[in-house]
Amino acid sequence: MGANIYKNKKLIWVFLLPAFLFMLVYLYYPFVQNILNSFRHIKYMGTAGGDWNSPWYINYTKLWADPKMRIALKNTGITIAATILGQVGIALLLSLLVSNIKAGSGFFRTVYFFPIVISATALGLLFNLVFLYDKGMVNQFLQFAGYLDRESNELIDWKSKHAMFTMLMPVIWQYVGFYFVILLTGLSGIPSELYEAATIDGGSKWQQVRFITLPLLRNSIGTCVILAVTGALKVFDLPWTMFVNGMSNTWLTGTYMYSKVYSDVDYASAIAVVIVLIGVILSALVNRIFRQNDDYQV
Amino acid sequence: MKKKISPGYTLIYLFLSLWALTTIFPLAWSVMNSFKDKKTIYHNSFALPVGSTFSLENYRSIFENYDILHAYRNSFIISGTVAAAVILLAGMAAYILCRYQFSGKRLLNLLLYAGMMFPIYSTIIPVLRMQAVWGIVNSPSVGKNLLSVILPQIAGNMSFAIIVLMGYIRTLPVELEEAAFLEGCSMFQTYFRIVFPLCKPSMVTVGIFSFLWSYNDLFTQMFFLRTKENWAITILLNNIASKEGVNYGALFSSVTLIVIPVLIVYIFLNKYIIKGMTVGAVKG
Amino acid sequence: MKKKMMLVLAAITAVSAAYAVPAMAEGVTLNVTTTYAGEDGNAQNYKDSVAAWEAESGNKVEDSSATSDEAFKSRIVTDFEAGSEPDVLFFFNGVDSNQFVEQGKVVSVDEIREVYPDYASNMKDDLLGASPVDGVNYSVPVNGYWEGMFVNKEVLEAAGVELPTADTTWDEFLAACEAIKEAGYTPIAASLQEIPHYWFEYAIYNFQSPETHNTVPESVDDEYGKAWVDGLNDIKALYEAGYFPENTLTATDAETFQLFTGDKAAFLIDGSWKIGGIAEAVDDIENFTVVNVPGKGDRKTTDEIGGLSMGYYITRKAWDDEEKRDAAVSFVSFMTSDEVVSKFAGVSATALKEGAAPDTSEFNPLQVDAIAYTASFTGISPAVQDNLSAAAREPIFADMASIVNGDVDAADAVAAVLEANAE
Repeated sequence: MGANIYKNKKLIWVFLLPAFLFMLVYLYYPFVQNILNSFRHIKYMGTAGGDWNSPWYINYTKLWADPKMRIALKNTGITIAATILGQVGIALLLSLLVSNIKAGSGFFRTVYFFPIVISATALGLLFNLVFLYDKGMVNQFLQFAGYLDRESNELIDWKSKHAMFTMLMPVIWQYVGFYFVILLTGLSGIPSELYEAATIDGGSKWQQVRFITLPLLRNSIGTCVILAVTGALKVFDLPWTMFVNGMSNTWLTGTYMYSKVYSDVDYASAIAVVIVLIGVILSALVNRIFRQNDDYQV
Repeated sequence: MKKKISPGYTLIYLFLSLWALTTIFPLAWSVMNSFKDKKTIYHNSFALPVGSTFSLENYRSIFENYDILHAYRNSFIISGTVAAAVILLAGMAAYILCRYQFSGKRLLNLLLYAGMMFPIYSTIIPVLRMQAVWGIVNSPSVGKNLLSVILPQIAGNMSFAIIVLMGYIRTLPVELEEAAFLEGCSMFQTYFRIVFPLCKPSMVTVGIFSFLWSYNDLFTQMFFLRTKENWAITILLNNIASKEGVNYGALFSSVTLIVIPVLIVYIFLNKYIIKGMTVGAVKG
Repeated sequence: MKKKMMLVLAAITAVSAAYAVPAMAEGVTLNVTTTYAGEDGNAQNYKDSVAAWEAESGNKVEDSSATSDEAFKSRIVTDFEAGSEPDVLFFFNGVDSNQFVEQGKVVSVDEIREVYPDYASNMKDDLLGASPVDGVNYSVPVNGYWEGMFVNKEVLEAAGVELPTADTTWDEFLAACEAIKEAGYTPIAASLQEIPHYWFEYAIYNFQSPETHNTVPESVDDEYGKAWVDGLNDIKALYEAGYFPENTLTATDAETFQLFTGDKAAFLIDGSWKIGGIAEAVDDIENFTVVNVPGKGDRKTTDEIGGLSMGYYITRKAWDDEEKRDAAVSFVSFMTSDEVVSKFAGVSATALKEGAAPDTSEFNPLQVDAIAYTASFTGISPAVQDNLSAAAREPIFADMASIVNGDVDAADAVAAVLEANAE
């Protein structure tokens, strides 16, 4: 392999610098401030950091002992598992199916994108109505189907009895379209000659998927899993609209941080640091699992 | 490929259509409710707006009181610039990170993941201070105010874009770049002539999402777009719909007005994502 | 593709450049930030008044008003720190203003009066809304708020319950709730999960008086601390008696509000701003009224919560600017004149010496009742929660569900509030 084409590295900084300069100024520098803030006492969001906390790491010891943070971490773990299996899994299935049909594929590509563009406020409102206690869509349907007693107006309080399910269902559903688009993009990068060759050799559709598509899609799936993991750690808008203040013990790391953003600035900063740390570790782990041929050793 | 309607295909279409129903419904529901007045939405949000319940009032009050076209224009300037800059800069960085070995690469990778994780709430205040010192916040010039939103948004979308593009570039065969190298192409030529065109589907994907997130990023707009002539569409409509949270009519007409341009952009660009790559097409 | 991209970039740059032409300035341009924005009841009044002042003075207003929320508040705080604050600001006068008052970034009314003796002379000084930092007046208020108990008359009738009056006691109120519950209705529309604020305020008010209510306790064991604990336990008792909606711990405020407007719940404690919300949500506004919140102990049923929580500030930056000083004073004086305040006030309270004279000819029945309601007040106290920092409010407001279902002891919650507030 003539890998020596990547040996002349004198000018690579010209390509790297602009992107990382943007991030340095607008992300890393502010986040270093955020890390410092997590050791300081800050009264209002927007004021400069005040005195150092005593002891300076107190926010982190508080976090360690905080029962809500434990709930948030546990729920976020569940969310990560659910998003990898649910979001990426469904998106993979949908993208494979759509890429294997002719008629209507453009239609499906378009409508699967819809949920991503609607604001969390509107979706939260919709799902609040779907899971509404009295006269909500699901409860009405269950009464109609005879699962709940209609005479006595028997109802299920979804946000209390099945809180995690009620929260995760819309979150997973909303972002399937996002991974769908990324996987479709990955699929478009697979040379069609490979399939033609496979067809000539008499490979079945399933064999093509198993031996051509999935291995070549590995990078895109890895990207999706990283995005899903980091997304699950951050997500707050839709859960917050539906489950304000972590009702029924539904805290997630994202919603818990958000709840403290304005009221307890330095504590929120500490939560942000923990979120970022977990996110970086998990991403590196995922990257290792899906490790691919980007290292052209000489 | 053989053309035959098999039971397998019927099943596929059934499944795809079921999912499509769930994704169409919320949008249809929002658009539908935007044509109802507040009271009708309260009492029955799932009924069709026909006859006496049909109302254009939500739209009329928006169009009469606000310069909505101006806000659309601001939005497109902001989000168009963000998407273009992200594509350009993220693509170059992703290429290097994929293909070259250099010291510090591992660190840059970790920084990339970290960059995706920073909550906007923990970065906005230092950014506001910095930009206030530079004089691009609260400035009488609309261009500067738009710039104060564009710059942080470019940075905010960069990590995501680089990671997605890296995933795509990795799958590209190196042979083409080798050929270019043998023909004497420099790194710049190889990237812009060979890699960049090959990445078109992924670039478009990244562009779409950068555009979308910039367009919907209400929080940054709230901090930097303060006076009417600076308003982008999302903040304009949020200002209309936010009060008391009971005016659902205004909310849904806002959702509709926000969503439609994005969908048009998506549908327009979608075709670039779809095209399957063939090795032969590379030469063209 | 590359060329296309360059074209797009070039086009964008060109358009951006076209934007960069500075506005021609005639007279003085004042940067003004208020919360009269979006669908605020007074947004249109504000726009009209600004236009009137511009026409009268020949100056220009660069308006950056926005709906008030936590993000807006932090933007204001950061602006003051970064030196990009507006010239005139209409903002809260409670703890939210502490930071810029402490830093001396706004000018006190007294200092302004040394140069402009007539400044805010049409207002009662003790109602201006003194700063919690030093008790000095910095802002001039426009319209205030009150809280009261809105009633759905149809539900009361169906349950055979009399309309509460200025004499209704707490025990009579409990009996009414029981009767309403027996009749199959929800007595009280409230989402304890999302908006327990009004019930907190009145429940602890019941163990205090208008004179003492606006005091943050020193400790859980002092008389105020005990009042807070007793009040929270009263809310718990109401919850255990089943007077709140069945799903009050998971419902949104919008959902419980709909119980009220949809003739399923009888009572709703809320603020004066809710009148507009009710009018928008129902077809039969005459079916709704507002009455005194039944009281007990030292608090008379006619002692209510209310006050003027916001006002116009002139910033030090504008005051020190020779060109802007006159314009800023003229603007605030105009916006707080008797006529303008009367127009903004509607049914709410003002600090005017002469009292407000709103145009009542187009009032709906609920607004008419509201005027009668405010006339019944024998005592008024500001909401004590406005003296708590955002962090301090959390143990009772975000965790009300845990308090009423017994997971957290009321005394512990109050202790947590006081501890956070002391920080």
